[in-house]
Amino acid sequence: MQTITLKLKDAAMSGIAQVPVEVDALTPDKLFGKSEAELKAVKVWWGNKQEATGDLFDVSVAGDAGSADEVKIVMEGDLTRVKRIGDGMKAGEIEARGDVDMHCGAMMEGGKVVVEGNANCWAGREMRGGELVIEGDAEDNLCAMYRGEDKGMTGGKVTVNGNTGELVGQYMAGGEILIKGNVDRLAGLSMRGGKITIEGDAQWPGPDMIGGEIVVKGKTEMMPSFRPDGTESIEGAEYKKYLGDLAMGEKKAKGTLYVR
Amino acid sequence: MADGELLIRNGVVYDPINGVNGEKKDICIRDGKVVESVTNPKVIDAEGRVVMPGGVDIHAHIAGGKVNAGRIMRPEDERKGVEPKTKVCRAQSGYSVPNTFATGYRYARMGYTFVMEAAMPPLAARHTHEEMVDIPILDNAAMPLIDNNWMTMEYVKSGDTDLLAAYIAWMIKATKGYGVKVVNPGGTEAWGWAKNCDLNDAVPYFDVTPAEIIKGLAEATEKFEMPHSIHVHGNMLGHPGNYEMTKDTYDVVKGIKPYRDRPTMHATHTQFHSYGGTTWGNFESKAGAIADYINKNDHVSIDLGSVILGDTTTMTADGPMEYSLYQITGRKWTNHDVELETGTGITPFLYSGKVSVHTIQWAIGQELALLVKDPWKIALTTDHPNAGPFIGYPIIISHLMSKKRRDESAESMHKAIFDRAELPSVDREYDLNEIAIITRGMAAKTLGLHEHGKGHLGVGADADVAIYDMSPEEKDAGKIQKAFLNTKYTIKAGEIVVKDGEVVAAPPGRTIFVTPECDDKLMDEMLVTLKDKFAKYYSVTFNNYPVQDAYLPNPYEIKAPWRSS
Amino acid sequence: MVEVTDVVCSLCGCVCDDIVVEVENNEIVKVKRGACSVGKSKLLGHERIKSPAIRENGELRECSYDEAIKKAAEILYKSRRPLLYGWSSTVCEADKVGVELTEDLGAVMDNTASVCHGPSVLAINDVGLPSCTLGEVKNRADLVIYWGANPSQAHANHMKRYSYVSKGYWTAEGKKGKKMVVVDVRKTMTTKMADVFVQIKQGYDYPVFSALRAILRGHEDVVPDEVGGVPKEQLLEVANMVKESKFMMTFFGMGVTHTGARHNNIVNAIQFTRAAHLHTKANIMPLRGHYNVAGINQVCTWETGFPFAIDMSRGYAWYNPGEQSATDLLYRADCDAAMIIASDPGAHFPGESLKHLAKIPVIQIDPYANPTTEFADVVIPAAVSGIEAEGNVYRMDNIPIRLRKILDTDYLPDEEILERILTEIRAMREKEGE
Repeated sequence: MQTITLKLKDAAMSGIAQVPVEVDALTPDKLFGKSEAELKAVKVWWGNKQEATGDLFDVSVAGDAGSADEVKIVMEGDLTRVKRIGDGMKAGEIEARGDVDMHCGAMMEGGKVVVEGNANCWAGREMRGGELVIEGDAEDNLCAMYRGEDKGMTGGKVTVNGNTGELVGQYMAGGEILIKGNVDRLAGLSMRGGKITIEGDAQWPGPDMIGGEIVVKGKTEMMPSFRPDGTESIEGAEYKKYLGDLAMGEKKAKGTLYVR
Repeated sequence: MADGELLIRNGVVYDPINGVNGEKKDICIRDGKVVESVTNPKVIDAEGRVVMPGGVDIHAHIAGGKVNAGRIMRPEDERKGVEPKTKVCRAQSGYSVPNTFATGYRYARMGYTFVMEAAMPPLAARHTHEEMVDIPILDNAAMPLIDNNWMTMEYVKSGDTDLLAAYIAWMIKATKGYGVKVVNPGGTEAWGWAKNCDLNDAVPYFDVTPAEIIKGLAEATEKFEMPHSIHVHGNMLGHPGNYEMTKDTYDVVKGIKPYRDRPTMHATHTQFHSYGGTTWGNFESKAGAIADYINKNDHVSIDLGSVILGDTTTMTADGPMEYSLYQITGRKWTNHDVELETGTGITPFLYSGKVSVHTIQWAIGQELALLVKDPWKIALTTDHPNAGPFIGYPIIISHLMSKKRRDESAESMHKAIFDRAELPSVDREYDLNEIAIITRGMAAKTLGLHEHGKGHLGVGADADVAIYDMSPEEKDAGKIQKAFLNTKYTIKAGEIVVKDGEVVAAPPGRTIFVTPECDDKLMDEMLVTLKDKFAKYYSVTFNNYPVQDAYLPNPYEIKAPWRSS
Repeated sequence: MVEVTDVVCSLCGCVCDDIVVEVENNEIVKVKRGACSVGKSKLLGHERIKSPAIRENGELRECSYDEAIKKAAEILYKSRRPLLYGWSSTVCEADKVGVELTEDLGAVMDNTASVCHGPSVLAINDVGLPSCTLGEVKNRADLVIYWGANPSQAHANHMKRYSYVSKGYWTAEGKKGKKMVVVDVRKTMTTKMADVFVQIKQGYDYPVFSALRAILRGHEDVVPDEVGGVPKEQLLEVANMVKESKFMMTFFGMGVTHTGARHNNIVNAIQFTRAAHLHTKANIMPLRGHYNVAGINQVCTWETGFPFAIDMSRGYAWYNPGEQSATDLLYRADCDAAMIIASDPGAHFPGESLKHLAKIPVIQIDPYANPTTEFADVVIPAAVSGIEAEGNVYRMDNIPIRLRKILDTDYLPDEEILERILTEIRAMREKEGE
């Protein structure tokens, strides 16, 4: 197991502005096989200039890895302006110790990212595989699509221990999302596959859905365009079952919504 | 324009307009033109390589309101083709709807130096020009839509061909356009009420048929020494069984004499109009029947509208067709009807080799090229981006040149190609001379641009040259495709703009427009009616309508006098 | 005295172009006809910034154009994340230089759509826009719906030029042959004119659109008795009006773009239009605010691929509103310098965003002083587009119209100011040998 620790230097965020640092170049699969010196030389974007990782982060490396799977990156320091942690990651692990900025785990294909704090918008955007755990809250657009795409998340597993903002899993086509807290408006908008489980409350879940499944265990403010379809028992609890979204027309309304 | 002298030495030249067919020949350039000889030139060694005039694209949607509406609607397409700026090039984006800079660079890298914007809604002509100015390197022109216009339909109904001609003249001048574009005549006006028309339906309220509109416009156009004929996207595009209506459409102008040795109608993206069957279930190719017609008649020319597999964006002034396409796919859809004139529909589309219909469409585009005997009647297009993006032209070239490549592709496509299309049974292979005809010679001649320096390398021509990094003997389809995608050199107006597939210079191009000339009295009579329309029905004033000179910083004018009988 | 006709108004998205003014001694002395009161006020002119200025020790010191332009270039050149914002009240020719500047600097370029109809553009990204030109509405529409908008006050000429009061080819009777539905959270001057006023609970447009869609698709049985404060009977009434119309046109405004489901309200409004299209000819259009906000969206799109909130820090465009829109960048204190042109964030932005704007170096390019001038570090007065400078603009229906130059001026047009800033920046870069 190799652990790469990257601690954002205080100086990075102490200027008149807090220009975000983008770390899409720093995933386990991209860093695998690099020496410490090579690691420090990897360029990352900080605004309109590229800087050496070693200039923005305190870097330390411990242990060895036989493959990217055995690489773990620990990120420390003020990560609230560190974007794209785990972007496009294929293998290995990232542990982010704190709140993270946007696009954490976006386009992930494999491996695991754990955020020990809150995640900003677009965490898990277009995820294809792997696992993302957010121990705090997630803001808007968790696991959503990129604008204009008709498919968002297609695979993988995401867990949020806290609450989320709006538009969780927009255009979701596959994979699993579990929210232990509440979600804001429009979870599962235009969903076509996959499963979203919300243990808290939801406002207007599943609008325009044409496939996939949403389960809400807390309170639900319903859309006015879903058809009741009896009840069903899930894990010993009774749920009302709905088919929707009929605003899309009968033929397309193949989504299923379970509410208490 | 480069003042310097350039000598392209020892290339194997294909210049079909001048009858040069694979001849080892030097090309001399000075002051942006092809000249007889040079004294102290920079030398480009083109030994063993294919040299052709710069490509001339007769029909592509590259600039204007609907193209941009396609871009706005498709950030997911835009992000696919991003490339950072360089010292020479602006930042690029897009795949099926590239930004204007990418459009210029990518065409130039394929050796093209002129592109005709296929359809310009007149009320938004300024937009087309703004975008064309932002397309680097290429010379360009645009065709205004003049077929669903209320003025046109009213004059066709009353039989006032001369007044219709005056209206055409005014429109082409006001829009700084090139010629008369016709798209789903009558049908797009009917779409203003969510209806459509086929060739012989009366347009609601205007009570003329599309056939009458086409005939009237052809007659009126031929009143001038117009370089290009009417350019027609016929009714019922994309519908199974439309091939009969296609032939009927061609018949409409059969008796009309064109002003010079060119067809009376250019029928565009013919692939979409060559459909048999009655439903998508029994859909089949009728390319053979259309090719037969083209072989037997000289009054119509065509361009292919050949399919490139993959995701693309459809966009035409055929509003109703775009709506029905969106109904089939359920994907996003933009519509933009233009008062008193025309309309637009845009929707993404994925051509898949796994789908029988798309496979047959793919076959049809190539069958048309292979079954029409005279390549001077055909231009290679994909109706960019409707049947596919222009960046796919080299794929079509390699397929037309290689039966082996066609067979390989067919193997991974739907089996319907074997019983509902003809392509697998066609052995013909295009040679480089024929490729040069369908990618530059024919288009230049049919547009009348060969008289203005385009499409050939005779003395006096514009020094627009493409040098492809391949031997004329090359038979490998993969290598042919690669060579036609990125030139060894592209020269534009005597300046090297592409070298080893990279853009090294990006000078602006010119916009070519036509000024039809017509009798003042006739014009004044027409203007009375037109001004009345502006006062009552248009939402802009008559004086604010015409495109101002400021929109054409590099203009090139072609006059089209009234024909003396 | 000279009469000038076909004058094009450079105020709101209506871009009225049949205005007639009288000019005397290089001044517009009278607006004879065609302009609404707001347009008239702009044409007649008012207080403006008299000279370029640089702020020193808290006070603005007047200086030359050259000095101000050099200072502006310095600020931008040194910046790691510059924001170039505004663009909606200038011409496309200036917008193009703006894109070039953005690319050259690796900056973020955003325009007022972010606080106005940006949500409408986001909706177009997702579902497209079934629409038409304003003349189509004038000639055909017999059912006009204003949703979350108050054109009587915000787009004063709209109804009489283009939609409800106007007369056209098939609408020669004007109002008499048409029906108007106005949807809003409260009564306004426009709701007073409506045949049907639908009053919606604030933030509840989204489910109301979905309910209407379900009804139009034949599934009224699933719709509850009340949705978003609207009784089901009224929803059924509106659905019937849609079905009985020959051409339905919906215009929408800020009431739906920035409340409740925000840009998804617009997605739903467009989906509602498509459902209506099963029964009648149906189009929809955003009531663009500034006279050339549609134009900056168009220019950015054909030049970079994307309409607003474009981040070019990596040398190519990355588009993600909500991440790089001006208000977000400022709220998060992401950017370290800003150029504000042809707009007024000082008046329109949320307080939190303005706090950061006041901290960083700000360059303002505008003819008129406004709240942004209070804290700008470099102020560069521009010629007024449409009066002192000509150029291309796009109306709310994306029709391009050329603004006229009516008066002479010593003020520099936006296009020239920007070109000079760009030239300075390139000179600095060359000097530094990059």
